[in-house]
Amino acid sequence: MKRLLASVGALALTAGGALAADDVTLQLKWVTQAQFAGYYVALEEGFYEEEDLNVTIKPGGPDIAPTQVIAGGGADVTVEWMPAALAAREKGLPLVNIAQPFKSSGMMLTCLKETGITSPEDFKGRTLGVWFFGNEFPFLSWMSTLGIPTEGGDDGVEVLKQGFNVDPLLQKQADCISTMTYNEYWQVIDAGISADDLVTFKYEDQGVATLEDGLYVLEERLADPEFEDKMVRFVRASMKGWKWAEENPEEAAMIVLDYDETGAQTETHQKRMMGEIAKLTAGSNGTLDPADYERTVATLLAGGSDPVISAAPEGAWTHQITDKALN
Amino acid sequence: MIWLWGAILFWLAAWALNARLAAGPAARHPAVRLAIPALFGVTLLVLWEGIVRGLQVSPVILPAPTEIGATIAASLPILWGDFVQTIVKGALSGYVIGCSAAVATAIAIDRSPFLQRGLLPVGNFIAALPIVGTAPILVMWFGFDWQSKAAVVVVMVFFPVLVNTVAGLAASERMQRDLMATWSASYWQTLWKLRLPAAMPFIFNGLKIATTLALIGAIVAEFFGSPTRGMGFRISTAVGQLALPLVWAEIAVAALAGSAFYGLVAAIERGMTFWHPSQRGRP
Repeated sequence: MKRLLASVGALALTAGGALAADDVTLQLKWVTQAQFAGYYVALEEGFYEEEDLNVTIKPGGPDIAPTQVIAGGGADVTVEWMPAALAAREKGLPLVNIAQPFKSSGMMLTCLKETGITSPEDFKGRTLGVWFFGNEFPFLSWMSTLGIPTEGGDDGVEVLKQGFNVDPLLQKQADCISTMTYNEYWQVIDAGISADDLVTFKYEDQGVATLEDGLYVLEERLADPEFEDKMVRFVRASMKGWKWAEENPEEAAMIVLDYDETGAQTETHQKRMMGEIAKLTAGSNGTLDPADYERTVATLLAGGSDPVISAAPEGAWTHQITDKALN
Repeated sequence: MIWLWGAILFWLAAWALNARLAAGPAARHPAVRLAIPALFGVTLLVLWEGIVRGLQVSPVILPAPTEIGATIAASLPILWGDFVQTIVKGALSGYVIGCSAAVATAIAIDRSPFLQRGLLPVGNFIAALPIVGTAPILVMWFGFDWQSKAAVVVVMVFFPVLVNTVAGLAASERMQRDLMATWSASYWQTLWKLRLPAAMPFIFNGLKIATTLALIGAIVAEFFGSPTRGMGFRISTAVGQLALPLVWAEIAVAALAGSAFYGLVAAIERGMTFWHPSQRGRP
């Protein structure tokens, strides 16, 4: 009798194991917001469930570097910007890009019109707010390309480590601050400054744009066929979520709000953000365009005396996942 | 693995040597008293190196001491610039302003019982404010540069020094104060010649606590907004760039600076309070 019970119990456990979905942990680059709508839509609308995946989405935030989380084993796949991922690769963390949902860059430098800045040449001798924690690389590349030193002085720019808010511009502590088309720019507008009082430089227009939100995993895990299959299903479901979000921006914004545990996001802000994000994801089905990759690498290498990366990376991206997921 | 076993072997050998030295006849010799902790420190470093190399720990998680040493050697100008910005400009100026304000406030409290009832609870409240809450506000008020870091340090060191000075001013004995009264000494003469010197052990206690707080305050305040120099800035951005050896180099500089600062104040204390029982019996 005891042996019968024990073997029935063991069989029950194994049966449960065979039916369980595969676990995937995704580390986001920032807090829960419409910038990551595709993943939340895929979670909510059951796209991950259809692919037999149990996905945990970990929000990021200030002082959370996604590359560190994946290095420490806290996530299987992370959303990161390409400059930070390539710099991490050079530092010894072998990240590989497996998908690129964002085709265009949303990064900008926003200045108050009253500072008199009309073009990048006017930056000399000014104070500019820059984000760090992996977000400083596009700015450093741009300044290197323009030949403007970042140490201060009359010929260079004074760099302020900007927190993730727009106070330096509002408090006039900086002449210009870094903003995203979908987030901080609107925070400035919401704070009462009209668009006519602002001068904005888009990195895309200046020719120094780098690829932003992409999906990255550790290289050695891609050699495991089980992991590769998990990632194929994950990317397929995530891109389905992104395309759904592009077509239904209002509903996508509401889904993101439901998942926001901090309660800090507002409906207006998220709907506006989703509208702007849809412009950045348009034109990409998730496959990384090698030409975009080369352009990003060229921008980062053009750093002159202080390049973000010192050599062109090898094996920093792969089509092996997107080929199987999207074809 | 050979690295790991070599490190463990070294550790056991050093342990045995230290035990023999500490129990042996030359234990009181100054050279031996220096050698024992030095050997312990070296053993820790060797163990660290052995574990990192033997277990192939990624430099992104924990770099080896040799890599950190190489980074220190290669980044001396950066480390010096950060040291000046954070310790000299931020921590030291805040420390001087905060401690002088605290001592002055303590004397004011001593003069006026009204102030004593009012100021001590307020000081208590200010001391309880978490630095991660006050630092962004002070950055907004005083700007991004060292002034806001000095302000954070002032807020942090004010209350400990205040409390210690108030306790110290009460430390002179009744008989001593009566003696001064028999010589017709005024309040200020009594204060300067009896009560302040008697308060010195307490004041220095507060000053020593304040050295640690000043360093913490200056470095943490820089996480919330700074120009692109300073130890807190360098630590947080180097973590973001995964340049962990530089983070450890800054930590090493901070540890050295903190110990030196504390040692300096302790040395001054030894000079000024040589008469106190706590300073006697030292070789």
